[in-house]
Amino acid sequence: MLGVYNDPDVIYNATKKLIKSGYQVRDVYSPFAIHGIDRVMGIKRSRLSIVAFCFALFGITSAITLMSYTGYFDWQVNVGGKPALHLPTFIPITFELGVLCTAFGLVGCFFIVNKLAWGKNADIIDIKVTDDLFVVAIDLIDHKTDEAELSSLLKNTGAIEIRKREVDV
Amino acid sequence: MSYESPLRGNLVEGGKTYHDITLDITRPLENKASKGWWIGFSIASVFLALWISATTYTLLVGIGAWGLNKTVGWAFDITNFVFWIGIGHAGTLISAILLLFRQKWRMSINRSAEAMTIFAVLCAASFIVSHMGRPWVAYWPIPLPNAFGTLWVNFNSPLVWDVFAISTYFSVSLVFWYCGLIPDIATIRDRATTKLRKFWYGFFAMGWNGSSRTWHRYELVSLILAAISTPLVLSVHSIVSMDFATSLVPGWHTTIFPPYFVAGAIFSGFGMVLTLLVVGREVLGQKEYITEEHLDAMCRIVMLTGTMVGLAYITEFFIAAYSGVEYEQYAFLNRAFGPYWWAYWTMMTCNLLAPQIFWLKWARKTPWFIFMMSIVVNIGMWFERFVIIVTSLHRDFLPSSWVMYAPTIIEICILIGSFGLFFFFYFLFVRFLPTINMAEIKGIIKTKHSLELEKHYSELLTHGPAKANHSNDMKGESVHAN
Repeated sequence: MLGVYNDPDVIYNATKKLIKSGYQVRDVYSPFAIHGIDRVMGIKRSRLSIVAFCFALFGITSAITLMSYTGYFDWQVNVGGKPALHLPTFIPITFELGVLCTAFGLVGCFFIVNKLAWGKNADIIDIKVTDDLFVVAIDLIDHKTDEAELSSLLKNTGAIEIRKREVDV
Repeated sequence: MSYESPLRGNLVEGGKTYHDITLDITRPLENKASKGWWIGFSIASVFLALWISATTYTLLVGIGAWGLNKTVGWAFDITNFVFWIGIGHAGTLISAILLLFRQKWRMSINRSAEAMTIFAVLCAASFIVSHMGRPWVAYWPIPLPNAFGTLWVNFNSPLVWDVFAISTYFSVSLVFWYCGLIPDIATIRDRATTKLRKFWYGFFAMGWNGSSRTWHRYELVSLILAAISTPLVLSVHSIVSMDFATSLVPGWHTTIFPPYFVAGAIFSGFGMVLTLLVVGREVLGQKEYITEEHLDAMCRIVMLTGTMVGLAYITEFFIAAYSGVEYEQYAFLNRAFGPYWWAYWTMMTCNLLAPQIFWLKWARKTPWFIFMMSIVVNIGMWFERFVIIVTSLHRDFLPSSWVMYAPTIIEICILIGSFGLFFFFYFLFVRFLPTINMAEIKGIIKTKHSLELEKHYSELLTHGPAKANHSNDMKGESVHAN
């Protein structure tokens, strides 16, 4: 069951009400991020920040390993008698590689967890959901849900349209 | 819920609805290209052709095609490189630093500024490759096992740091830009009427469907990217400045260089953003999105950073005098009163004096004037790099090595041509991608609910609670969205 709305505040309140009444809200689709809706839906804080931290550590360690191995252990080059293993001069590249690994690792993982991929066919709930419509999708898997009651609830919360859609689960 | 300043006007004017925003922003890329676009694109292509021929000539003949000599070994090439890299600093600054500071006015300008960043870094990289003389060995600064007994690169050298900094900056900016584009590409995909558009925009939209889970992660990813890009922006130009500062050349060997270069980069970057946006908002009909308030805010930044750069010029002079080092003192006197005095005073006028006009409100609110000023800033910042590089080199320690440097026609063609390279890509960007981030803009316009709420409160203020009672049910936590 889909409730279509045209205002972010209205759908925010509607979702809140639906969840309070015990409906299984599958997802909310919107053209932009509705702040706070993640909390209402009980979405846990994404672990992507931990992922980012791990990639940063990876970038930093590999940079230090690379520079100390090549510059000190493998082949020392005497440049004006300066020390070969000199940590302060390693800072810039360590920082850059840390940032590089974090950015690419983070965005890569972001694509993977959201199942985003180049050329993937989008499963769009409504073609205008990327323009100006906001859609709340409610699961009716257990067939116990009183559809009439749900429809009236959606209508009362300000839905401009109510639709049904079959999905393979 | 965030605080809305009563002093600042609306970020988007004209009472736009969500659909209006989609229509307005996608108009330039869904309709047939306008005559103006074709003219601009053709001019850019001509200059691009000039760039290609001059660069090819350099590669065939060698660096001898340029006006360099034994004393002045770096001149136009590195001047242009630093100039373009500097311009490339505004984009990520706007989208990352202003995001961290929660400056919402960034939202209508960050997309085009980031695009500008990417194309400017491309231009800068082209100068690095062409100034090598043997660009086919451009991979040498990369630490690869090689045939010289595994002779690795010197990681203590700022030139090697630069290779890492610039390539990281380019790729991270590209990733940041692309991530911001995905929801908007999805919008265009869903509006596409032709098969070709549907396919290509669909390909790059990666199956985006606007799910709240995706949005939740998306917001987090943007925040982390902003957090790591902020020090990245600062690091890149600091490292560029260390190319000079770690050398022993009087006039280069100063510790002020990193902050001074970063301020200069922001200054020149905003100069170029203003050049592009003052024209862009007229041509693309985006005056409601890039309002006079936006121009005003950018002019203030230009004025601030211009003054910082000016302060750095003066500080350098003072430190040279105070240090008691004769060579240092001579280098600075030679800069201001030597044979290149005209370059120095052009720089001083354009960068320190000219932006002071932005203390006047009229100057910050008048688009044609801002446009003229932005060109002045661009010229001034180009001369700053020319002054730093050429005047520090041309009078070597031994008076027998004192020479003058003048660019050859080939070098001038490469410089002019690089603008063709830049604008070629910029015109393509304007034609095929939305120049304003629709998804973000939709998030900051006032919702119906908050408009009603505003009305409710103003009624409360003017008429007292009795009359405003009818809309009492509107208050509460539902203000969250703004």
